[in-house]
Amino acid sequence: MQLSGDVVRLRGVRKEFDQGRVVALDSVDLDIHAGELTVLIGLSGSGKSTLLRHLNKLHVPTTGTVEVLGQPVADLSGANLRALRRDVGFIFQQFNIVGRLSCLENVLSGALGRLRGPRYGVLSYPKSMRREALELLDRVGLGDRAFQRSDTLSGGQQQRVAIARTVMQKPKLVLADEPVASLDPEISGQVMDLLFRICTEENLSVICSLHQVDLALGWAKRLVGLRDGQVVLDKPAEGLSTEDVMAVYKRLDPTGTKQNEYEPAMAARGS
Amino acid sequence: MTLTEKPQGPRTSTIPPEMRSGSLRPPLPWRRKVLLVIAAVYAVAVVWAIGRTGLSITALFEGYGDFRRLLDRMLPIEFRNLSQIIRLAFETFFMAFIGTAVAVVISVPLAFFAARNTTPSVFLSGPARGFIVAMRAIPDLIFALIFVRAIGIGVLAGILAIGLSAIGMVAKLYADAIEQIDEGPREAILATGASQVRAILTGVIPQVLPSFIGIALFRLDINFRTSTILGYVGAGGIGTLLQLYLSGLQYRKALGVVAVIVVLVLAVEFISAAIRKGILGADPHSHKRLSHRIAGLFPGGKGRGNVAAQAEAASRASFNRETLRPPWTRDRRRMAIFGWGSLAVLVYAFWSTRLSPVRLFTSFGEIFVVATRLVPRDLSWLSSVVVRGMVETFAIAIAATTIGLLISFPLAFLCARNVAPARWVYYFGRSLLVMNRALPDLIIAVLFVSAVGLGPFPGVMALSIGTVGFATKLLADSIEEVSQGPRDAVTAAGTTRLQEAFTGVSPQAMPAFVSTALYIVDINIRSSTILGIVGAGGIGFSLIQATRTLNWELVGGILILVFAMVYSIERLSGWVRKQLL
Ligand SMILES: Nc1ncnc2c1ncn2[C@@H]1O[C@H](COP(=O)(O)OP(=O)(O)O)[C@@H](O)[C@H]1O
Ligand SMILES: [Mg+2]
Repeated sequence: MQLSGDVVRLRGVRKEFDQGRVVALDSVDLDIHAGELTVLIGLSGSGKSTLLRHLNKLHVPTTGTVEVLGQPVADLSGANLRALRRDVGFIFQQFNIVGRLSCLENVLSGALGRLRGPRYGVLSYPKSMRREALELLDRVGLGDRAFQRSDTLSGGQQQRVAIARTVMQKPKLVLADEPVASLDPEISGQVMDLLFRICTEENLSVICSLHQVDLALGWAKRLVGLRDGQVVLDKPAEGLSTEDVMAVYKRLDPTGTKQNEYEPAMAARGS
Repeated sequence: MTLTEKPQGPRTSTIPPEMRSGSLRPPLPWRRKVLLVIAAVYAVAVVWAIGRTGLSITALFEGYGDFRRLLDRMLPIEFRNLSQIIRLAFETFFMAFIGTAVAVVISVPLAFFAARNTTPSVFLSGPARGFIVAMRAIPDLIFALIFVRAIGIGVLAGILAIGLSAIGMVAKLYADAIEQIDEGPREAILATGASQVRAILTGVIPQVLPSFIGIALFRLDINFRTSTILGYVGAGGIGTLLQLYLSGLQYRKALGVVAVIVVLVLAVEFISAAIRKGILGADPHSHKRLSHRIAGLFPGGKGRGNVAAQAEAASRASFNRETLRPPWTRDRRRMAIFGWGSLAVLVYAFWSTRLSPVRLFTSFGEIFVVATRLVPRDLSWLSSVVVRGMVETFAIAIAATTIGLLISFPLAFLCARNVAPARWVYYFGRSLLVMNRALPDLIIAVLFVSAVGLGPFPGVMALSIGTVGFATKLLADSIEEVSQGPRDAVTAAGTTRLQEAFTGVSPQAMPAFVSTALYIVDINIRSSTILGIVGAGGIGFSLIQATRTLNWELVGGILILVFAMVYSIERLSGWVRKQLL
């Protein structure tokens, strides 16, 4: 994989929700370099999830252009879009594994983009893939849980399954949206270590949003800060002090509350 | 610091030794094995049932031709005697209304006896539950058949049939609602030294009232559908005309009646849903939740409406501080209009159907007398005809359930708002479903019998079509409730829509799918026992013969068989459901 060039290029990206009542992203310009580990920081509601969700076309920008892995995302559809999504792994705060499926099948679902046709049940995947998925589960330390139902796992374990699922995809770029925000500090550290180690071993580019400033400063090559949908900080992590980073977090609105990313409209009405 | 500096201790594999090689098959515990055996038996039963009911590709083509010919004879549609049709349509509605009222009046005390937390004694809750189960197992048309013979032709037989069979559902759901209450208020009232009855009145009734009303309205909707066919066996209402025209081969007029029925069923469903929404609050999901609860799929919420809005409205409304009467908030006005309105409709219904409440009351005595005569003294009624009828009933139910569900599953994905490939597909599918459900199963059966003649084949066709309408709605509703997160994650892996539907949606909806499928088996077993009454195969034919000849012991014997079959299937499906969830 080439270590030069940009994997992501945003130009003047603006995103409005609810017919313009909410502006989630506002004239964002951003280039992410290949092989780099970039950490996104910012208050809840500052647009981190929205930004990440633009990179695999779970959202489309209201105006502006998004280029990922050299392709203009807005123009992609059908098989081309699926091909891009295959190359871009996504890790969610809520883990978003399919609870009733076994861990192995969850990991296997990451390979769907490489397969044709629908699958149901572990046995509907090729044998070599089952083996591959088990090895990935082992890599995240869950090789003994292959046939356990994934909703019986703890949060940290579920996120590890999600990481294995993403690696199963064989992505070039990994997006992680507050992957440890639902976990306690100790488990958070372990999961982040695991995620970053695997991504480094696989030589993947990573964009990860995080709230833990210490973790961010420890691992990141580059920090990007968002506030109200605008980029307010974009610097190499080396030489940044905790104070520089905390400035991004200073609350303008002291009543700001954490929002559920799937009920943003309701949360907005409540506050 | 860079990544390579992180300590990386020697890692030991977490893969258990037995899984280090081999083909990685999921483990198969004994319960799974039993389920697989049941599934295999079921598959064999389906093949047998399809043969037994005479279903085949050629039969389908011939049936299609027959149906085209029937349609030719039915068109152009004719509305002769529209005033009579309308009068009978109103009679049908009033039958359903009084029948629902009868069911509610009996169900309320029954439910309090049956509910674990309010029953005065276990010696009462047992029999109460047994009675409810029995009423649920016996289809309404069978009641109608018996009552027409026992009390005579007319609306009274229809009302009693509707009322008694509705108890099976209404009382069960009422008891469920009572068991789900918050016990706090009642304990608080008991703690003031009040009696049990008062504590129930003050601490329980207000909590369950919205559910009670919602369930009653929902049942009114169902009862109206049923009552459109009751006239077919002489129990009053618009079905009388349908029977008259069809037996007189006046197909154009018959289609006119069917059209009126469809319009009315839609109207009643619409009004009932609107009232439910008006009374139970503007929660757009309350209807959906209710229908789920009715399918026994999910434990229901408490149906309390929008409490915060009520409180706010009450605090704003002014009231007379001298008399301390509660203020007329919008909710209180609505409740009052609903209460007095229902009472007025009830009085008008009695007057319009020329039914005296006293006669309604005394008829229960007559029913009791007939009930005692139904008890068979020996097994002389058990003939090979009866056995064959039961076997055929079972075959119809199995075949129709399977065909119906095979069509429903893919259709449900197209009719779910969150999965449908395009908005118009969703709207188109949902409108088809509403139209389909507006035609009661038995009316479809009557039409099919007219088209292809007597036998189980029209029964299977009619029941399959009815299954598609009902099952697709329930399945689509449950698909709409799956959470979006896991779906996003699967999509983000670069899947096609179809792959995502299999991996992101289906596993989440699986518990609801299983419950729905098993519920459909249950109701189809029940429905297939009455298809024979309109000539569409199964035990219903023997039943109608037995009532014509007043052979009460045979009727009773068949009822016992029906009950046994319905009950054992219900237990089996309950067990299967528990294993799968
Ligand atoms: N689907 C949506 N509909 C409406 N508003 C949304 C939606 N998604 C996000 N928003 C709004 O966009 C803003 C940014 O949200 P988000 O990207 O989730 O922030 P973060 O991930 O940084 O917490 C918030 O004000 C949020 O309410
Ligand atoms: Mg977020």
